Amino acid sequence: MAADPGTNDHWEWEIDHRARWGIVDLRQLWSFRHLLGRLIRREFLVNYQQTMLGPLWVVLQPVLTLVVYVLVFGRWMAVDTGTVPPVLFFLSGILLWGLCNDLFTGTAFIFTHYSYLFTKVYFPRVIIPLSIGGTHLARFAIQFFLLIGVLFFYGITGRFEFAFNAWLFFVLPAVLLTAAFSLAMGLIFSIATARYRDLSNIVHLGIRLAMFITPVIYPAAMVPEGLRWLVRINPLSAVFEVFRYGLLGQGLFTPGDLIYSVVFITLFLLFALAWFNKLAAKLIDVV
Amino acid sequence: MSKIVIQASQVSKLYRLGTVGTGSLRQDVQRWWSSVSRAGRSSFFQERGRGDAPNLWALKDINFDIRQGEVWGIVGDNGAGKSTLLKIITRIIQPTKGVVRGRGTVGSLLEVGTGFHPELSGRENIYISGYLLGMDKQQIRQRFDEIVAFSGIEQFLDTPVKRYSSGMYVRLAFSVAAHLEPDILIMDEVLAVGDTSFQKKCLDKMQQLARDGERTILFVSHQMPAVRHLCQHAMWLHQGQMVVSGTATEVVDKYIGSMQQQRLVQQWDDPAAAPGNEFVRILSVEMIPAFLEGQETIDIRTPLTVRFLIDNRMSGALLNAGLHLYNYAGECIFDVASTAIICEAGRVVGECQIPGQFLNDGSYYISLIIVRDTSIPVYYHEGAIHFEVADYRENTSWFGKWKGAVRPHFPFRFGNQQQPPSITI
Repeated sequence: MAADPGTNDHWEWEIDHRARWGIVDLRQLWSFRHLLGRLIRREFLVNYQQTMLGPLWVVLQPVLTLVVYVLVFGRWMAVDTGTVPPVLFFLSGILLWGLCNDLFTGTAFIFTHYSYLFTKVYFPRVIIPLSIGGTHLARFAIQFFLLIGVLFFYGITGRFEFAFNAWLFFVLPAVLLTAAFSLAMGLIFSIATARYRDLSNIVHLGIRLAMFITPVIYPAAMVPEGLRWLVRINPLSAVFEVFRYGLLGQGLFTPGDLIYSVVFITLFLLFALAWFNKLAAKLIDVV
Repeated sequence: MSKIVIQASQVSKLYRLGTVGTGSLRQDVQRWWSSVSRAGRSSFFQERGRGDAPNLWALKDINFDIRQGEVWGIVGDNGAGKSTLLKIITRIIQPTKGVVRGRGTVGSLLEVGTGFHPELSGRENIYISGYLLGMDKQQIRQRFDEIVAFSGIEQFLDTPVKRYSSGMYVRLAFSVAAHLEPDILIMDEVLAVGDTSFQKKCLDKMQQLARDGERTILFVSHQMPAVRHLCQHAMWLHQGQMVVSGTATEVVDKYIGSMQQQRLVQQWDDPAAAPGNEFVRILSVEMIPAFLEGQETIDIRTPLTVRFLIDNRMSGALLNAGLHLYNYAGECIFDVASTAIICEAGRVVGECQIPGQFLNDGSYYISLIIVRDTSIPVYYHEGAIHFEVADYRENTSWFGKWKGAVRPHFPFRFGNQQQPPSITI
C-alpha cells in the first residue's frame, strides 16, 4: 500500500473503510502462491479421502455420465452428431461442461463455505476462488487424457479419422475461456449468495438450464435458424464449438462469434474480479 | 523512543442490526421500497441505513499509537469491541470510519487451528495453517521439525487430524501458531483455552516473545493478572469506546474498580422504614476495607471489617448474630456466629473481622441473621453487602483461575530436607 505523501511518516500499510477497485494485486498474489498451491492440493486430497477408488473418480464420473448421455440423447432422442461418433461428441461436451459446472458451483458459495477462514485470518480473498479454479482445471487436465485416449482408440479402430486443423491450437484457449467465464460467474454469484441466501436455490437450477442453451449435448448446427441467436449470444457457444472443431473437426462458429466470446469473457472476468475485490472486505460483516 | 508501528485514528465500526445480512432478498427489496417511498415524501437526503433498524457502534473513535516492541493488553467486558478492534487491525473486516496505519508484518491468532481440515493429516495441516497464518515456505520448512517436536505428535503426523484426541489437536494447532514470527503479533485470549498445562505453555510462549523487545504484541484478555504481568501498556474498551489507556497496572486497576458493583454501606435513618420486624430492625450494615497505601480496590490481601447496628425491641432477650458469606454461585462460603448475650432493648452493635489473605477472588454478598435463644431466627437480612475481591499475585507465573472457595494463607514450610548432622566417633 502506498505511503501517504502528505506526511513525512512512511507507513507500510493502511486500513480504512474505502473499498478499492483493483483487479488483481499481482505482487500480493505472488507472495501467497504457496498458499494457493496448498489449497489446490488440499481440495484434491479432501475429495478422495476415504474413497475406495480415490482419484479414479476423476475419470469415472464423466464416463458414467457419458454412458447415460449416449443412451438418452444418442440412442433414444437420436441427436444428430454429424460425422463424429456420439461417444466422442458427448464426451468432449461433458468434459468441458463439467469444468464449467464444477467451477461455477464451487465458487458461487465461497462466502458461506469458507466463512470459517474469512472471519479468522486475512489473506487475499481471491485466493479461494483461484484455488477452486486451479483444482478444477487440474481435474480437467486429467480428464482430457481420457478424451485423448478415446480419440486414439477410435482412430486406431478406424471408426473416426482424426484430421489435423489449425483450430487445434485453440483447444487450450477454449478451455481457459470456459474456466474464465465460469470463474467470473462464480465470483459474481458468490457476492450475491453471501448477501441473499435465497439465490442458492436458483443457482443449481440455473446452471442446469444453462446447459441447454450451450451446445453441450447437441451441435450448434442442429439449432433451427430462428433460435440460433439464443445460442449465439451465449459466449460459451462459440468456445464449445471451437473446442470440438479443433479436436473432432466439426463445429459451427464464425470468427465474429469467436471474437465476441473472447472480448466478452475477458471483460466479464476483469469486471468480476474487480467487483469481488471491492466487495469482499465488506461481505465479511454479513456472512 | 522507538517508532510507531500501529496508529489508529478515529477508528469506528458500525453494525446495522437486523438489516443487511439478514440474508433474504425479500426483506432487502422491502427495505429498498420503503426507503424509496419515504424519500418521495420528505427526507430525500436522509442517510442510507438510518431508519427503523437500530445501529450499533461496535467501536467509536478509537485512537492510539503503538510503538515497536511494546506489549499491549486490551481489556473490557464481553461486547466491548475488543475482538472487533483486533479484526480491523488484522484486516479481516474494514472500519466504517477512521484509519489504521502501520509498519511491518501482522500475524494474528484469533483461534486455535485456523484452517485445519479434519480429513487431512497433521503434516498437511501444518503447511496449510502455516501459510494461512502468514508464514512463508522457507519458514515452515525450517521450523517444521521444531513444530512437530513441540507438539509431540511425531507418530501421528500422517494420520488425519480428525482421529486426534482434542488435546493432540490443540497441541498441534498451537505449535504452528507458536512458531509464527511476525513483526506485530495479535492474539486473542481464546488461545489460552485447554487444560492448565496448555494455558501455561501459551502464556510462557507469550512471555518469551514479549521479552525479545523487537516484537510488538497486542493481547486481548480477561485474565487481569496476566495483563498486569505480561503487558506494559493496556487499553480498556467499554461499549466500543476507549475508557482509558496507559500503563497496564493503572488500566487494570481502574477496570477492576469499575467492575466492583459493590454496595458496602446500607443505612436507614428512619427506624420505621428500616428492614426488620416487631422484634428487631436493621439500622445499618457496612463493610470497611483496610486498604494498603495507594490501594483503591478490594483484593485478596485486603482485611475487611463488617459492622452493623440494629434496633432491638425485646428487652432481656438472649441474642446472637450470624454473618453468611455467599459467592455469586449461591454457595455459602462461611457462616460465622457471634457469642450469645442478654441484650436490653435499644441499639445493639456488632463487628466482625475477615482477615486478608483469606478470600479467593470473586464476587460475594453477605447476609445478616439475628437469632434468639441460640436457635430461633428472629430476622434474616439477605444480601446486605455486595462486594468483589480482585485477584492479586506476586512471585508466580501462573495466571489461570485460582482454585478453591477460599484462598487462605496458611503457614507453609517447603524446602530441601535437612540432613541430620553426621556424627563421627
